[in-house]
Parts: sequence; C-alpha cells; structure tokens
Amino acid sequence: MVNRMVVSNLLHRPVRTAVSILAVAIEVGMVMLVVGMTTGLLHETAKRVEGVGADLMVQPPGASFLFGLTQAPMPIKIGDRLAQIPHVLVVAPALFQFNSTGGLNLIYGIDMPSFNRVTGGFVYHAGGPFTAPYDILVDDWYAKANHVKAGQTLNLLNHDFRVAGIVEHGKGARLFIPLATAEDLSGARDKASIFFVKCTDPGYTEDVVNAIHRLLPKYQVLSVKEYMSLMTSNNMPALNTFITAMIVVAVAIGFLVIFLSMYTTITERTREIGILKSLGASKGYIIEAILREASLLCLVGIGAGYAGSVIARKLILEAFPTLSVELTMGWAFWAALLALVGSLLGAFYPALRAAQLDPVDALAYE
Amino acid sequence: MEPIIATQGLKKIYRVGKVEVPALRGADLLVHEGEFVAVVGPSGCGKSTLLHILGGLTPPSGGKVLVDGNDFSTMTDADRTRFRRHKIGFVFQRFNLLPTLTARQNIIIAQHIQGNGFNPHRFEAVVQMLGIQDKLDHKPSALSGGEQQRVAIARAVICEPKILLADEPTGNLDSDNSQIVLNMMRALNRSYRQTILMITHNPEAAAVADRVVRMRDGRIISD
Repeated sequence: MVNRMVVSNLLHRPVRTAVSILAVAIEVGMVMLVVGMTTGLLHETAKRVEGVGADLMVQPPGASFLFGLTQAPMPIKIGDRLAQIPHVLVVAPALFQFNSTGGLNLIYGIDMPSFNRVTGGFVYHAGGPFTAPYDILVDDWYAKANHVKAGQTLNLLNHDFRVAGIVEHGKGARLFIPLATAEDLSGARDKASIFFVKCTDPGYTEDVVNAIHRLLPKYQVLSVKEYMSLMTSNNMPALNTFITAMIVVAVAIGFLVIFLSMYTTITERTREIGILKSLGASKGYIIEAILREASLLCLVGIGAGYAGSVIARKLILEAFPTLSVELTMGWAFWAALLALVGSLLGAFYPALRAAQLDPVDALAYE
Repeated sequence: MEPIIATQGLKKIYRVGKVEVPALRGADLLVHEGEFVAVVGPSGCGKSTLLHILGGLTPPSGGKVLVDGNDFSTMTDADRTRFRRHKIGFVFQRFNLLPTLTARQNIIIAQHIQGNGFNPHRFEAVVQMLGIQDKLDHKPSALSGGEQQRVAIARAVICEPKILLADEPTGNLDSDNSQIVLNMMRALNRSYRQTILMITHNPEAAAVADRVVRMRDGRIISD
C-alpha cells in the first residue's frame, strides 16, 4: 500500500520526479564516466607499453614511469652493454618526443630494426615503413580520430612529416618517427630515453634485472609486470584527488536535488501528512514512506545513469577514438551505493521534519 | 456503565508567540458507548480543540480526559498515535482524502496503517452501506463533495473504531448531500452502535443526534 502511495505521489508530480531522476542519473553517470575515463586511459596506456613485447625497460636515473614526463636521455651506447648481458635477446632504444601541436601526444623515436625485433614488427593497415627521415607511422586509432591517411602530411613538432604508414595500435606510442630524426629534433645526438629489453625467455627477467643493476647501479629498471602494477590512479600525481573531487561533486548534486525535491514535497504535502497522522500513522510510518519515495527515485535514477553512461561512452568513443572508457561492475556498484546513500541522507531531514509535524497544524495547512 | 469519553476540567492553552490563548477552560463531558452526540457552539468556542484532544491529535494542557479507559493526560505522543490508530475514526469538513489515491486506496490505507491487513468482508460491507461501489476506482478530484465525504466516512469506520469523531461533516455539502451523510451516520450509529461525536453549526444536523451539547468560551454550557 505504501508503495502504491509512493508511486502515485511520484506520478502526480512528473516534472519534479523527472528532475530528481535526472540528477541521480547525472550523479551515477559522472562517477562512472570520470572513473571509467581515467582508469581506461591508464589501462590503455599500460596495455600499449605491454604490447611493445619487452620484458623490461631501462631508464635514466631519476626518470619517471610516466614516459611523457621523461625526456632525460641516456647515451645510446648503453644499449650495446645491455645487449651483452646473458639472456638478453634484443635491446631497442627509443627517444621520446612530447608533441603539443594539434593535441598532446608522445612520439617514439625508434630504431626500426631493433624495435621490430622486440615487438615482432608492425602490422600495416596502409602504407609501409619509414623511407625518409621525416616519415612518420601513426596507429589506426590516431588515424581514425584525426582522419589521417597514408601519404598525407602531418605537422608535428613544428615540422612536416609524411605519413608513411598506418599501423595496428598497441605498440607503445601512437606516433613513431625514426630515432635519428628524433635525435636531430631534440638535439640529443646518440641518446635514448628508454631501452626496451627482451630476454631470451621471460623466466630470466629477474636475473637480467639484477645484472643491469650491477652494471648500471643508478639506472631505473622496471619489469613490464612492475610497470603494469604502477599504472593505477593511486600512483598518478593528483589523479586520485581529482577523482575524489569529481565524485564528491556528483554525490553533492544528487544529495542536494533529492533534498530539495523531498523538502518541497513535504511542504506541499503537509496536509496529506496530517491526514496520515489522523489515521494513526506513526513517525516511523511517515519516515519510511518518504525514504521509500526517495529510494524509488534513486533506483530509477541509477538505471537511467547506467543507460546514460553506456550511451555517453559510445558517443565519446565515436568522437574521440583514442580515448578509452572502462565501465566496470565494481564502479557501477559503488556509484549506485553512493547515489542511494546520498539520496537517503538527502531525504532523511525532510522525512524527519514531516514525522515531527503537529497533526493539528498539518491538517489546517492550506 | 463506564462512559467511553469522560473529561473533567479539560483545559487547552495555545501559545501564539508570547501570548497564551485559552481554547478550553475546563470542559466537562461524559459520552456513553453507542451514543450519537452533537456538539454545537459559536466559532472559536473550542469545539474543534475538544475533538482534537479526544482524538489524541493534541495533548490537553490541564484537567482529565479518559477515552475508553485511557488517560490522555499521561500518555506520550506515540501512545496517543497508537490509540488513535485502533480506536478513533475521523471525518473532516474538508473530507481530507489523499488526492493521489483512488477512493478504494483511500479506504484501504486506513487498514494498512492499522496493521491488521485488508479485510475484504468488512470492506464490502462498508462500501455497500455507503453506496460507493461504483466510485472506488475514482480519484477524489473525480468525485462530488457528497461522494468524497462518503469515502471519508468509509475510511473512518473501516477499522471498526470505538469512536467516530466528525468535525462539521456537512459543512462543505449542499442540503441533499448533507442529509445523505447524516442519514449514513445515523445508520452507522443504529446498526453498529457506533459512538459518534459530531461537531456542527447546523441545527438540522444536530437534530439527528441523540444528544446536543452546547459550548461557549471553552466550556460546556448545556448538555
């Protein structure tokens, strides 16, 4: 019976009901999309580095595992010394260039033969390998997002590059230029930002890491496994703070809209609350009825939020193919829980106020 | 036989800001089970306050009030609510039906609040007696004043209360509908020995009752 009354009340004020549902949907959608985009970006970046196929990576002392922040180069000859370590199959140097022309991109300057040996070689969707110093390879996601075709010219790093080929994504970066060109552009002759090291067998990774530590004591050596474990929001400067701030904003929106909606509901239905009290409804009965109403609004809002998140993800990926949005069951649960708790808290004060109304005053309310 | 309602020196003082407004100044009243009592008097004489206290909607400020053996002056708000749920039925001048529910739901909700569940036999009997069978799926906005008041009476008596308190039940009705409602209350009183305390301004309505009690200035001046 209470449920029927709750549904009737919600249908009686369709605009207010729709606004409340929308607020909860925005709350759920915001939580899911913000977390989905940040974790999606991290996981996709990590997967691309894993996709290089190396077992470990060597970086200069003090370098960050966030490659975009690391351009401090090392002498390229270190690669020869690394290659002589037992159980090392191949070493591929790469020099990072951070491009800000037409968007933010990390470009790998690569030595094609050694990079191909580590990765197993590029899969070409169009075109082919570099044939000139100012040739560039772009991955298929970048090509789709920027409508790039093989053979066209791209202006990056304040230089014009000819798109030599479009390659399958997942080999570290989205853009690749010859190592020598990267060295020229950065003025870092015979230098590398990173060495990708592939062992003869992944079982030797720990032995090789120890050997590198003995050979180059101050250098950063990260196995790909370690790198993958580091690529979480906990290890990103200020990312967790950003996510928390966005979640707080989302929950605040839901809380305030439900609070306002239920508060106006109580004011508007003062007389009806008086009627229920005249019938003998206890404070608990009235609080329960109002919290049920808020819960129903919230549950429909959560459903709408899920649907909205899925639609928004599709639209985001169509508009920005290089982005990655991960909608997980875990965060779907947390978003729903946050919305439900926020809604119940938002409805609790109005419910308490309604329960404490004087029945005679409430019945006389115009 | 013990009276079902007994008040002695009943007082009620409202505070409006810092001003004390006495609504009841020592009202003495006895009502026996099965009686149909009309309370008449000018506006502001304390009739509605008396009804609200007898229904447990508000506590008295002084004096004694025993309803079905329960002393309201010593009961908590929760106790009075529980008592009202099981022993009191209200009928108001403005009908006071829940506007978002149908007539059927308005009646059933009283049973739901009482917590004894839906009793279809009682429901059918009450609905038949009040002649609202074909109005049950209508919302209050689709019912005439007389129909709304009949639904309100059905809601008030569906849980078989010991006492029916009616606050000017014909105040918003035309004379035909007033007569129908009064006849039904009379029938309830006669058929089920329903104790009824009815406030009214209308001498014709008061004439339907077994007894007429007159109030003035917060006191009962004739019985």
